[in-house]
Amino acid sequence: MAPRVGSERYGMTAQLLFSGVVFGLSLASIYFLISIGLSLCFGLMRIISLDQLLYYTVGAYITYSISTLTGNLWVGVLGGIAVGALLALAVERLVFKRIYERELTFSMITSFGILLGGIGVVKALWGVVPRPVRMPLDEQMNLFGTDIPLYRLSVIVVAALVYAGIWLFLNRTIIGKAIRAGIEDMEHVEGLGINAARLFTITFVLAGALSALAGGIYAPLIMVDPHMGLEILAFVFMVVIIGGLGSIKGTLYSSLLVGQVVSLGSLIYAPLAVMAPFAMMLLILLVKPTGLFGTPLSK
Amino acid sequence: MLNSLHWWRGILITFTALWLAKFVLPLPFMNEVLVFSIYTIGCNFLLGRVGFISFGQPAYLAVGAYATAFYLFYFGTNPYIGLLIGLVAGLVFAFIVGLLFVRLRSDYFALVNLALSVIVFYMLQKVLADITKGDNGLWFLTNIDATPVFNLTKPSEFFLFCIFVGAAVWALYKYLDDTVFGACCLATKINETKLEFIGYDNFKIRLTAFVIANTTTAFAGSLYAIYLGFVSPEMTGHSRTADPVVVTILGGVGSLWGPIVGTLAYTGLRDVASKFIGNWELIVGFILVFIMMTNSVGLYGTLENWSKSLWRRVSGQKGTA
Amino acid sequence: MLDTQDHLIVSNLNVSRGEARVLFDIQLHLAPNEIVACVGRNGAGKSTLLKSISGFLPADSGEVKSHGQVLTGLRPYEIARLGVKYVPQDKRVFSDLTVRENLELGSYASGDYNWDPVITYFPKLQILMDRKAGHLSGGERQMLMIGRAILGQPKVLLIDEPTEGLAPSIVTHLKYVFTELSKSASVLIVEQNLPLVCAISKRVYALKEGRFVAELKDDQIRTDVCEHYL
Repeated sequence: MAPRVGSERYGMTAQLLFSGVVFGLSLASIYFLISIGLSLCFGLMRIISLDQLLYYTVGAYITYSISTLTGNLWVGVLGGIAVGALLALAVERLVFKRIYERELTFSMITSFGILLGGIGVVKALWGVVPRPVRMPLDEQMNLFGTDIPLYRLSVIVVAALVYAGIWLFLNRTIIGKAIRAGIEDMEHVEGLGINAARLFTITFVLAGALSALAGGIYAPLIMVDPHMGLEILAFVFMVVIIGGLGSIKGTLYSSLLVGQVVSLGSLIYAPLAVMAPFAMMLLILLVKPTGLFGTPLSK
Repeated sequence: MLNSLHWWRGILITFTALWLAKFVLPLPFMNEVLVFSIYTIGCNFLLGRVGFISFGQPAYLAVGAYATAFYLFYFGTNPYIGLLIGLVAGLVFAFIVGLLFVRLRSDYFALVNLALSVIVFYMLQKVLADITKGDNGLWFLTNIDATPVFNLTKPSEFFLFCIFVGAAVWALYKYLDDTVFGACCLATKINETKLEFIGYDNFKIRLTAFVIANTTTAFAGSLYAIYLGFVSPEMTGHSRTADPVVVTILGGVGSLWGPIVGTLAYTGLRDVASKFIGNWELIVGFILVFIMMTNSVGLYGTLENWSKSLWRRVSGQKGTA
Repeated sequence: MLDTQDHLIVSNLNVSRGEARVLFDIQLHLAPNEIVACVGRNGAGKSTLLKSISGFLPADSGEVKSHGQVLTGLRPYEIARLGVKYVPQDKRVFSDLTVRENLELGSYASGDYNWDPVITYFPKLQILMDRKAGHLSGGERQMLMIGRAILGQPKVLLIDEPTEGLAPSIVTHLKYVFTELSKSASVLIVEQNLPLVCAISKRVYALKEGRFVAELKDDQIRTDVCEHYL
């Protein structure tokens, strides 16, 4: 009897662990999609773009509206990305274009204002009651003896595809290379004759689109409510701080790290989900005040 | 300097005006304004003088509030001791946290404080729920003694107490502004390398400013606790994060009177907006963006400029404009 | 000397850095196919001059024109597109990109995908094509910077202290390259290396504490004369 009980217990813990890891990967996916935009905006334009959380929120809400109307989540997500990107474009042209030269606190406060105002608009349009979004793939898949929700896997797949896409963009296209060069030395890029303003706009809109995508695909897993951006804000920023603002590699690693810590942490002791990333962040900042791979502010 | 009436003039005028306002405006509103102003002046000082914004002021507010609450709920009944405990708790907390946070760059600083605020929220709501009673909060209004001089359980006397306390706090910040320390804070914002060259330690200056600012914030928390007789984790909720930042910008960064003007406007706006529109984020958000984009000096700064140009016109344009 | 034929005319230029005025009433002109040098001690304002001509520093007052087109007030990339290219100090290249990618960026910006002139001047770059620019030596970086700048056949090259820290053999090669370049463009070089400057320049401006104190021509261009004015 004893060995079977032992192996049963072992089997169950392994299953729990595995589903925890998958859960952590799906969290990491969402964190990554938002953080990569934040990191790029900082690296290239030296701004803190808290309004990315607004495009995340808008992406989720548009996804809700369209998917409820059409019955198809993916169409909704596409719509969410489109609207999020357009909104980001408008904000970049109207607001950020004028404040690129200012210090960091300026963009922080301004983008925070945009986030708040945007939340107000969302409230006005959709009300305060949280909205559910139906998951398109209800089934579970059996991996390694554990039942994993298929939708969560598709979230991870989407994020992985996006990462590959971003890698290709930054390493194989000329605009991507210009962005990488600009992160290192923007003055020099302009000196070559490359249109800095257009480069900034492209990067900003890309960030907005990615944030909106995050909101859209996350929507079925959570309730869509006006404050969802504020709720995830602290976590996204812990990811960004740990990885270091301006580093894409850093963002990837810290998304994975924080995702796992939050997920596995909550299996052990619920509040650990919040405490552990924070403790980690403090430890890392103690040793490296700009995060694991962060770029310093001076160019 | 402190002896001259001239130095005290602004403080005396303001706080007399605030005291008189109680005959016109509702008492709860005025009490809220006073305590909120004290909450905000720390944030304003940090941003205006040292150049750092924090998105996590609720954390320090809660530390002061809960320290006082613990005392009054579990141990004693004297509100003055409660205030003192809150003050000390805030001081110690700010010092420990400051040692790590102050080294950081301004954006990391702001966000790390935000994370701190979230942590404190979780601690109060879940982790320490045994002693904090989680979301239910701690109720201790009946525990508070009626004390001599000011009976803090009565809103009208609490109000008077706050007037004096407020004047003292403002005197402190005005004094700081006038000392070398105040100048150093400003210098550390503008050019820290130069400051180092003339022999000042940026870190120590920033840490001191940080501790002073957040101890004031914690003290405001203690005042809230005594006034309401109740604390709950909600005060560190994410919708509260915006409050001190908005008030600071609204009132005008770096000005001594900005917090008061900003608080009056913000609290009034929030009450009105909630009643009629129910959507304060919309208004607040756009006001914030508007003020930043127009490089405005905030409500107080604008009022100051208006009154200056009005005075010039009235007094017959003496001297060049 | 017609206004519209000059590659570069700077009139009454005043530039400040922060609160401090750095350049006072600068006048200079650059005719076609000239190499003109600007010499001065450290801190005289040489880099500031090049940076303000190329649009990286705003001018307090004054005007910069090229072929009748006003450059002051334009963004740096607009000025670069008009054929006035700035090659900064410090041998900064995009270290994370390869030599090839660095050149690709230059081509993308200028629309000139003909790298033959670049390879002709700097054959070594052909070998280094796939090396990350961060792994190049100082001399190789300088070659890459200049090679990248000549894409698009600029009319004016503003070069900031190119020979600083380089081995004599490379300096000799650069001397040759600049002379060849001046056959199709004009070059304004800022340098501390007086012998180099005196060997190749047609005219030399001496900059002292933000002002031009002399414009040397012909047989005045000697090292001792330069030093006299500094």
